[in-house]
Amino acid sequence: MFLARIEGTLTATVRHETLRACRFLIARRLDAGGALEGEPLVVLDRLGARHGGTVLVSTDGDALRRLHGDTVPARLSVLGLVDQVRLEGPTPDDRGAAR
Amino acid sequence: MRLGIVRGCVVLSTSVPSLRGTRLLLVEPVTAEGLERGDGSGGGKMLVVADHLAPAEGQMIGFVEGREAANPYGRAGAPVDAYCALIVKATDYRPGTGDRAWSGEAGR
Repeated sequence: MFLARIEGTLTATVRHETLRACRFLIARRLDAGGALEGEPLVVLDRLGARHGGTVLVSTDGDALRRLHGDTVPARLSVLGLVDQVRLEGPTPDDRGAAR
Repeated sequence: MRLGIVRGCVVLSTSVPSLRGTRLLLVEPVTAEGLERGDGSGGGKMLVVADHLAPAEGQMIGFVEGREAANPYGRAGAPVDAYCALIVKATDYRPGTGDRAWSGEAGR
């Protein structure tokens, strides 16, 4: 699981049959300091995540198989909407900068 | 799932039986900068993606990687690790600045 921020939405009229009823969002992963990192990711959302919101994303494809069937070609889904992130002490990035 | 632009396709003269009937797309993944520009540029490292949806060259797709890429083949399975799950019609990508949850406010 990892934290990500919702940066956009996506519409797709042609999609795998198991993804017919899904809502897709574009998210980017957050690093230990809260900065965006990596390529944009398409995540499935059932919770109503909003643009700019921080979400908890699962990479467990089995969860989606239970919901959408065994042949679903997807892995990333929103597990929760984050209200607050509390970090105690320096982040790995801070420690790297201090070396 | 990542986003990518279809740049072409691969045709095999001989293949393992489980790949028969599968198109193989040449896909350039879309980076955050490429998506923000919105000009059809990708920016990522090209890869081959298995496909049954038949997107056209230049179209944007969403492709899944890893074990889930073989899910559509069911119990018979197939040795694919990237699969085209959707053809993108439109994106609304508006990268924001700052993160409310991280600064202590509600993130919703």
